[in-house]
Amino acid sequence: MQNNINKSDKVNTPYEIARNCRHYAMCKIDFLGSGVCESGLKKHFVSFYPQGRMILYEAISENRVPVTEKCVEIADSCNLCGKCDYQCYFLNEMRPTKVMEALKNHVDTFIKNGGKVKLANDDRLLTEIKKIVGENWASNDEAITITYSHDLSPISEPKIPDCVVMPYTKTEISSLVKLFNKNKITYTIRGNGQNLLGFAVNEGVIIDLNRMKTIEFDEKNWCVKIGPGVAAFDLQKQAQKRGYRINASEPAALVCANIMCSGIMSTFSTTYGINADNFIDAEFVDKDGSLFSLNDPSSPNLYSYKNLEHKNSPGICVSASIKLHPVIDDERGILVPFQALSKAIDFIRDCSIRHIGLALGVVGAEYISTFLSPTKKSASEIKDIFIDKLDIPYLVVVIGDKYAIRSIDEMGYPYFDQRLFSVLYLGLQSLKSAEWMGLIKELSDDEPYSYLRIKSFPDLLETALSPSPVLYSKEIDPDLRPFFEKLFSSQEMTDLVWLSMYRIMSTRLGRKKPFLPVLIYLPIDNILINELNDKFRLIADKYHVDNDFGFITPIDNGKRCIFEYDYFFDYNDPEEIRRIRLAGTEANILVDKYSIKTGTVKGHQYVLYQGFCRKENLLYS
Amino acid sequence: MPLQNKPTTTLTGATGFLGSHLMASLLSEGYEIIVLGRSNKEETLKERIFKLLRWFGIEELAIQLELIEIDFLKPSLGLQESEYRELCAKTKQIIHCASDTSFSERKRENVLISNVGSLKGILDLAIDSKTDFFHYISTAYVAGKSVTVCKEYLSSSNDFVNVYEESKAQAENIIAQFCEKNSIPFTIIRPSIVYGDSRTGRSLKFNALYFPIQSVKYIREIYVNDIIKNGGKKSKQFGIFLDDEGYLFLPLRIYLPNKGALNIIPVDYFTNATMKIISKGSSGGIYHLTNNSSARLDIIAVYNEKFMKLKGVEIIYGAPADNLLRNPAEELFDRFMEPYRFYLSDNRVFDRTNTDIVTDNLHPPEFTYEIFKNCMEYAISVNWGQSIF
Ligand code: SF4
Repeated sequence: MQNNINKSDKVNTPYEIARNCRHYAMCKIDFLGSGVCESGLKKHFVSFYPQGRMILYEAISENRVPVTEKCVEIADSCNLCGKCDYQCYFLNEMRPTKVMEALKNHVDTFIKNGGKVKLANDDRLLTEIKKIVGENWASNDEAITITYSHDLSPISEPKIPDCVVMPYTKTEISSLVKLFNKNKITYTIRGNGQNLLGFAVNEGVIIDLNRMKTIEFDEKNWCVKIGPGVAAFDLQKQAQKRGYRINASEPAALVCANIMCSGIMSTFSTTYGINADNFIDAEFVDKDGSLFSLNDPSSPNLYSYKNLEHKNSPGICVSASIKLHPVIDDERGILVPFQALSKAIDFIRDCSIRHIGLALGVVGAEYISTFLSPTKKSASEIKDIFIDKLDIPYLVVVIGDKYAIRSIDEMGYPYFDQRLFSVLYLGLQSLKSAEWMGLIKELSDDEPYSYLRIKSFPDLLETALSPSPVLYSKEIDPDLRPFFEKLFSSQEMTDLVWLSMYRIMSTRLGRKKPFLPVLIYLPIDNILINELNDKFRLIADKYHVDNDFGFITPIDNGKRCIFEYDYFFDYNDPEEIRRIRLAGTEANILVDKYSIKTGTVKGHQYVLYQGFCRKENLLYS
Repeated sequence: MPLQNKPTTTLTGATGFLGSHLMASLLSEGYEIIVLGRSNKEETLKERIFKLLRWFGIEELAIQLELIEIDFLKPSLGLQESEYRELCAKTKQIIHCASDTSFSERKRENVLISNVGSLKGILDLAIDSKTDFFHYISTAYVAGKSVTVCKEYLSSSNDFVNVYEESKAQAENIIAQFCEKNSIPFTIIRPSIVYGDSRTGRSLKFNALYFPIQSVKYIREIYVNDIIKNGGKKSKQFGIFLDDEGYLFLPLRIYLPNKGALNIIPVDYFTNATMKIISKGSSGGIYHLTNNSSARLDIIAVYNEKFMKLKGVEIIYGAPADNLLRNPAEELFDRFMEPYRFYLSDNRVFDRTNTDIVTDNLHPPEFTYEIFKNCMEYAISVNWGQSIF
C-alpha cells in the first residue's frame, strides 16, 4: 500500500488551487453551517459557484477563454466572503478565495487596460431555448459553457458544450427535448446520474437541472417528493427538521441523479436498503419528450436489471418520491475496532443477520484518520498511530438504538462510544505526542482493546488529551481558526449519528488525492473479500497507484455487501491518469472474472442507469 | 564430565533479552558461537545480531559468530542436508534460550508451539550433533502456584499462573526425558524475573518490574500536564494535586492478595551464574537463579515515590470491596498490573542448593534504591525500549 504525499500538497498559487478543484460540488451545500456562496444560490449556473469560478480561472490562465460579458458578471458577483475557504479547507485544505481574488483582478486589469469584453451572441437555437426557459436561464457565453466542461469524474475528458440551459419545470424539460429532437441537437443532462460517473460533459447542449429544487413532504405516506436539483444533504436536513431520515448518498449528490445512476447506498443501506428500496415513485421525461411515471403500469420496467455495461438512460428523471424513515430518540454511534479485516467482516455479518444496528460499515485506518484529521499531514501521522500504536487497522461504524448497542455489549466487543470518539477527535493533536500510547498496546496483549472496558478510560483519555475545539484547530491556518473552533464546538461535527446520516465522514477522503472507487456487490464471504482486497491492492501496486481499502457495508440482511476499494491519483498528472486507467481497467476485468467464477459478484459499472431496479434483481439474478 | 575448554556453542534465542546477554558473555570469554535464529519483518537475522553487538560494544567479536537462519518447526531445522550436517559437525554444546515469554492466554497456542512444539528440532540437533551438553534456559516459576518451597526438581504441577509457566514446565520434562533416554548430558537453568544490569541499569527489555513503573510515570505525566496546562480541572475531581515541593499527590491504592515479594535478579547475575553452570554444571542438574532477598512491592513503591516525586501510593493486602470506587489512575494501574499481580505477592521460597554449589555461592544483589534508580533512568533514557538502538 502506498502513501506518497501528492505533488499537489503544496497547492498555493491561484492557478494550482484552481487546477486541483475536486469538482465534488460540496460548495453547493451548507455542510459546515457557513452558508453557501450567495451568487451561486441566486444564479444557479455552476459558473457562479466557487467550483465554476475555479474552472473558469484555470481556463483563463491558460488563455482558453476570453473575458466575456458573463465572465465579468461571474467575477463581480463574488464578494470575497470567504465561505468557500472554510468549505474547501475542511475538505481539501485549499483556499479558493485566492482564486476568486485572482479572477477578479484579472478581469479588473483587463478592463482597466482597455480590453474588449466579448459580448454574448444569441444564435437561433439559443433564442428558441430562451423562449422555453426564460432569458436568464440559458447561455452560450464561453465563461458559462467552460464551467460545464468538467464534472466530478476525475478521468472524464473535458468537453465544452455549445450552450447550457437551466429549466425549472418538467414541462420546460419536455419542450426542450422536443426542440432538440426536432433540430437534431445532442443534449446531456447535468443532474441525471451521468455526472456521478463522469459522463455529463459533452458538446451540444447541457441541461442543468440544478434549479429544480422542490421538496414536498407527504408525511402520511412516509415519503417526500423532490425535484432533480435537490442534493442529499439539503433533503436530509429538511427530513431531520421534521423528525425523519432519508437514506442519503454523498452529501452533494443530487438525489434523483443518484438513484438514476446506480441507486442510493450508504451505511444505512444495511436497514434502508439500496436501489428500489429507497423510493416510492418517480417521474420521467422520455427521449421523445413525453412524461411517464414509474408506477404507471404502461411505463418501461425500470425495476428490472440486466448485467450490461452500456445501458441507455431511460429518460430524464424529473422527480422522485423518496422514502422517509423514523428516527429513534436513543440512537447513537460507536466504533468497534478490529485487528483484521476478516474479524470485522464476521462482526458486520453477524450484526446484519441478527438485525443489530441501523447502519453498519467497515472502514480502514486511512478512512478514519483522513476524516478525523484537520490536515493532510495530521492524517498520515494519525493513520500511523491507528495502525502501529493502537493496532486498529479496521473499524466498524455502528449506528444503532440503545438495544442494538446493548446487544453489541453482550456480544463482548469493546468499542469507542460517542464520548470516546469525541475525545479522540478533538484531542487528536495531543494524541500525536502522547508517550503513553505504548502502554495501550501492552494492555491489549491479553485481549485486544481491553482498555476500552476500563470504566474510567474515557475520563483518563479526556485528561490525557485535553480535547477542545481550540486544540483541534491548532494546525489550521490562523485566520480560519476562529471559524473552525466554533464549528467544532457544535455537537454535530463530532456526532457519529449526524456524521453518518449526512455522509460527512467520507468527504475528506479525496483530500490527499482524488480517487477512483472500485465498487462491487458480493456475498459477505471472508475469503472472497480478502482475496479481492489483496488483488485490488496488487493491481494498484503494479501500476504504482496509491490505494487503500474503502469500506464494506452489509445489505439485505447480511446476505450481500457493498465493497469499495479506492485508487488515488493526481488528475493533473497525465502519467498518473494513464496508470489509473490501466489499474481501473484491470480491476474491472478482475471483477468480471469473479462474476463468472462465482455467479454472485457484481461490478458497480453494470448498474449505470439501472439505479431504479429492485435490489433482488441486481443482487441475485 | 570432561568438556573441551571452550566448546563451539550453538545458541538459540540470541536476539532476546537473556539470549543476547549470554551471547555477549560467551563471546567475551572467547567462545565460538553458532547463532540459530530468524529474520523478522523489519530486519534480517544478521541485522538483528549486529545491532545487539553494537549495543554491547563488542562488534569486533563478530568474527567468533556464525549466523544460521533456521525454522524450528521444519525437519533438519529447515536447512539443506549439507548445511545441517555441517551444523551438526560443528556443534559441541547447545544452549536453548529461545522462548515465547508472553503470559497471554490469548496467545496460548503460539506460546505452546514456540516453547514446546518446537523442541523436536533442537533435540534432534542434540542427537545428530552428538552434543557434549544441552543447556536449557527455563524459568523459576515452573513449580506451580500452590507450592511453598520450589525445589530444584522437575515439576509435576498442573497449577500455573499463566501459559508461559505451563509451557516451560512441559518443555523441561520433555528435555529431561529425552536427554536421559539418549544419554545427552543436560542442565536446566531457572532464572526468576530478570531486570537490567545492576551496575549500569542497562537493559534490553522493559516488562515485569518496569511496566508498572512505566505506567505510573505516564499516569503521573497525564495529571501533571492537566494541573499545569488546564488548571487541574480533572485532577481536582480525584484529589490529585501538586504540592509545594513538586510532588504529585496521586491516590493510588494497589490491592495485592497477600503480603509477598517480587523475586528479581539482575541480568549481570544471570549471565555470571549461567556461565558458571555452563562450565561446571553436572548432567541432570537443575539450577535456580533466584534472589533470597526478594523485593517487596511496598519497598519498590517507596523507591518509586522518591524517584518520581510522587505521594499517595498505598499497598493494601486483601481483596478490594465489590463496591470500591476507584479513580481512573487506580483502575488503569490495576489493569496494567494484572499479569504481574501474582508475582508481586509471591511467597514461594526457592531452593538454591545446586546453584550455590556450582556458582560458589554467587548471589544476586539486594534490590536497592541505587539499582532501582539506575535501571529506571536507563529505561527512561531509551524511552522504555522504544529508542534503544
Ligand atoms: S468568496 Fe466568492 S466564490 Fe467564495 S463563497 Fe464567497 S462569494 Fe462565493
